[in-house]
Amino acid sequence: MRTRTAILLSLLTLTTVVGAASSLPKGNDLGAPTVRSQEGAEALRIEGERRFQANCGRCHAAPHKFPPRMMATIVRHMRVRATITEQDMRLVLYYMSR
Amino acid sequence: MIVSHELQARDLCRGSAHHYLGYLTNHNEPITIRIDHCEARRVLGGFLNTSTHNLTSGFAHFVAIGILGSFATVVVAQTPQNDRPVPILTGNAGYFTTVDAARYELVPEVNPVLLLPLGDKWLVESRGRFYGEFERPANNQPYGGKIEKDLNYLQADYIADPHLTVTVGRFLTPFGIYNERLYPIWIRDLHQVPLIFPLESGSSDGIMLRGGFPLASWANLNYATYYSTLTTNETLDSDRAVGARAGMFFGRPRIEVGSSWKKLLMEDRNNSFGFHFAWQPPPIPLNLRAEYARSNYGSGYWIEGAYRFSQIPRWNKAMRRTEFVGRMQQFFAGEDQESEGDQYTLPHGATQQPDFGMNYYLKDGLKASASYGRWLGKHNWNVWTFGVAWRFAVPLGRVTD
Repeated sequence: MRTRTAILLSLLTLTTVVGAASSLPKGNDLGAPTVRSQEGAEALRIEGERRFQANCGRCHAAPHKFPPRMMATIVRHMRVRATITEQDMRLVLYYMSR
Repeated sequence: MIVSHELQARDLCRGSAHHYLGYLTNHNEPITIRIDHCEARRVLGGFLNTSTHNLTSGFAHFVAIGILGSFATVVVAQTPQNDRPVPILTGNAGYFTTVDAARYELVPEVNPVLLLPLGDKWLVESRGRFYGEFERPANNQPYGGKIEKDLNYLQADYIADPHLTVTVGRFLTPFGIYNERLYPIWIRDLHQVPLIFPLESGSSDGIMLRGGFPLASWANLNYATYYSTLTTNETLDSDRAVGARAGMFFGRPRIEVGSSWKKLLMEDRNNSFGFHFAWQPPPIPLNLRAEYARSNYGSGYWIEGAYRFSQIPRWNKAMRRTEFVGRMQQFFAGEDQESEGDQYTLPHGATQQPDFGMNYYLKDGLKASASYGRWLGKHNWNVWTFGVAWRFAVPLGRVTD
């Protein structure tokens, strides 16, 4: 019974999430089509800045923002050099490339 | 895997789902996360409030996996293609003048760093150092000297796991924080390296395991452990040794503490120990760092504070670019210092040196520095340093599709 309920709930949630996602605009940038998405993007940016200050800011000031492809390489380099956790790395990358 | 999901669901419940959405994807490319925790709560509805506080039942696990997996699917589907990493030539260049005991020395240097990402999990990286030390002879002849070159590291990194990176090749020895993190001339606050730097500096040839992971929402653990083989080649010189370093970073007070250990596996089987500390008190633009190191060649410490004048309202445009630095350090000679200390360029005998300096950040990656220090050892003298340092980064491929 519990398994069936779990499957049902998961399918329902999956449908909801996919439906919500499909309502988002296509494209790969932060086009921020809705107010809610903009808020989400801003929350991520703020969290990314906080993680930047906590990790990278311990050694150096924030550089200017490079194109995303460069930042992806630089952040991978710094992940190894400064032993940054994966979560922090992703948020820093988000912050530094937007 | 279940543990990961537990973590994510727990944090999702705490309202920080975006920390972990990318985590599930097992995908090392950068991701675009469009769903913040508010949306997650909206989508998940009351489930988060009722079930994920206690994810001990199989049912909760199952549902959490399903939900988070579907999030991950959405996230991956939105991964931007133009975030693929591109090879980069970066590094720094500088020109410094040092007046050491009334002896002038001009030191131009270039430290190129090549970063070559391969696929999702590999990075090949290398740093060289080309520098000159030009001195004016006592008889007032023109400056003379020669260009030296070093290979600091040439390593292949394999990101095996979110918590583990395997490095092979020649790498910077992970001992303390100065050698790996503060050494580049555009980063270091004072151009003069600490007296104990030779105890921790250098490169190793071998294999290293390193990584970091959150222990809790308020603390991250980072670690590095390595084995280095003996290499007598002049360019790739290294000792046979093993060592490790571990550090804890506490996010709220922004404090990092850690310790290092190294054991030589040669005729000399000495142990070296070190401790490091860093603190950035959140409301103040102050950076405090300290290290202690001890080996048979000697022991010592340095403690350094760097303060940005960004909180001073008057002339703020200039003040926020200005940094004042102070450092105190001491070195105590060890029992082997007289016999073998010279090869590590350590001071002869007990020495202390206070330093003060100013940095002015002209623009991103470009700074001008000046510092004064007083060497207090068997003999005393002044140490002045002036110069500029510049960091550069050039893509070696297309940065847009």
